[in-house]
Amino acid sequence: MRAFFRQRGGSIANYVGFVVFAFVVLFPFYWIVMSSFTPRFELFQVPPRYWPANPTLENYPNMIESIPFWEYYANSLIFAGGSTIVSVFASAMAGYALARLKFPGSNAVFFGLILSIALPQVALLVPMYEIFNTFGLNRTYHGLIILMSSLITPFTVWIMVSFVNQIPSEIEEAGYIDGANMFQVITRIVLPAMRPAIATMLIINFIISWNELLYPLVFASRNTKTLSVGLVSLGRASMGVSRPWDLMSALSVLMVIPVIILVIFGQRAIVSGLTRGAVK
Amino acid sequence: MAINIGPPQAEVRRAQGFALSFNQRRYLAAALLLLPVILLRLFTSFYPFAQTILLAFQEYNPAFPPREYVGLQNFYKLSTDMVVTSSVEFTLIFVFGSTLFQVVLGILVASLLNAKFRLRNLARTINLIPWAIPMVVAAVGWRWLFDGNYGMIPDLLSRIGIEYDWLIDPTGARIAVLIVSIWKSTPFVAVTLLAGLQGVPEELYEAAKVDGANALQSFWRITIPLIMPLMVTIGMYMLVWQLAVFDLPFTMTAGGPGFATSVLAYKIYQEITTLNYGYASAISVVMFGIVGAIGALGLIVFRRVQLSL
Repeated sequence: MRAFFRQRGGSIANYVGFVVFAFVVLFPFYWIVMSSFTPRFELFQVPPRYWPANPTLENYPNMIESIPFWEYYANSLIFAGGSTIVSVFASAMAGYALARLKFPGSNAVFFGLILSIALPQVALLVPMYEIFNTFGLNRTYHGLIILMSSLITPFTVWIMVSFVNQIPSEIEEAGYIDGANMFQVITRIVLPAMRPAIATMLIINFIISWNELLYPLVFASRNTKTLSVGLVSLGRASMGVSRPWDLMSALSVLMVIPVIILVIFGQRAIVSGLTRGAVK
Repeated sequence: MAINIGPPQAEVRRAQGFALSFNQRRYLAAALLLLPVILLRLFTSFYPFAQTILLAFQEYNPAFPPREYVGLQNFYKLSTDMVVTSSVEFTLIFVFGSTLFQVVLGILVASLLNAKFRLRNLARTINLIPWAIPMVVAAVGWRWLFDGNYGMIPDLLSRIGIEYDWLIDPTGARIAVLIVSIWKSTPFVAVTLLAGLQGVPEELYEAAKVDGANALQSFWRITIPLIMPLMVTIGMYMLVWQLAVFDLPFTMTAGGPGFATSVLAYKIYQEITTLNYGYASAISVVMFGIVGAIGALGLIVFRRVQLSL
């Protein structure tokens, strides 16, 4: 690829491409962030303004008053954090078993898991709702966490399997030769070796769960609703008139900040995690 | 197990007493390690899948009690339901349209992310942002960008003489939803294709250069053929995954105008909120059928691609 661009007359093409790319990716954020600092009366002006004449912070406290913001924020953290931890550790265990402890049918289990990615969430809601009613899991944190961690488990197992396949099995064999039992080998040797994959998937799964809408929308009550449901309900609240874009943009900015921070600090880990599934 | 084992092994087992062989311990460990994931998936995926299929043949609305098997009645109903047929149509347009653009643009973005230049790491970080933000935020933000009165896109277009209200016009609304989907998920495709680009040996490009190939030629003759299997794989993944996209039309257009941007996932959700559980399940079965058909198509294409290499 280096040769490709060098031939095309140095890296000017890269910089031009970069500018176009960055503009297309970032201009919606400009619009959202700018709107969140624009007073409501200016937002609903024709033609639209590209810069607030009277920048203000008032949209933020207004938004926080109009929905149970802090409650939803805490719920989002519990939902995303819980689903992340459950899915990553369950998948790390399963990934190790599928990659290393080959048993009759282990391939079938693996492909069954991967195929189950294809089952659309929304198509399973009715039976899920009934099952949850039977077990008293509707409107609970742990019910939501069970659903969400199950949803992201197959992809996580996939990444874990390909990661374990790249760990040389000699280090485990050395452990057995030194007289360690299987439990010790797994906790003392395998788990530390899997640390990079676990860290990567903690970041990726947190982002995916933080962004989830459907499950909290269907299975949460007021006490367990997350920020994404809050954003939707803000838009619904005044459907009759115009949408309260001042409040919605403020909430959007606050929802995006945590994931942007994760992306900035975890870019390398995220890219390596997402690409690992691809190269196999 | 023990019944099938012939006498010699049985004696060996007896001699060992209750001590488990290494293989047996391995299977036991595997079973224990897999248990949480398998329980999760059985409970929230395989069991409800079977239930959905049963429900599809029932008249079931919890508000109107008698719950009974009605054969194919739900399927007759949906075959004449205009919202369902329109949703099938837009689902296919949405899924194939976004995947096509995501893969084509994805390879361009991946090339940029793989190029050696000063801002490469910044480009990779920026690239992840649309993937990482919530779909609800993307949908709400773009809804506002496209807004006929106060949005930036119609305003900029009107300055160059194009007056167009995207979200009022069914075609415009469909294009707008597609644009958001492409914007949101091209980065994910680009990252996976980046892995493929990194796997192409540098020597191939150098050899091509020695042979007098220009950049475009080596891109078409080396890069594209080598990452074609990966492009097909990720394309398949996006096709199937985007069938399930619900949050984008739900948040951005609520399926409108009319039901122009309703996808199957959204239609199912609507039927669930009106408690038509049996009918919703029948539409879900149609969706499973589409997933299966796309999967089969993908396998055929994948075979072709591998053979042609």
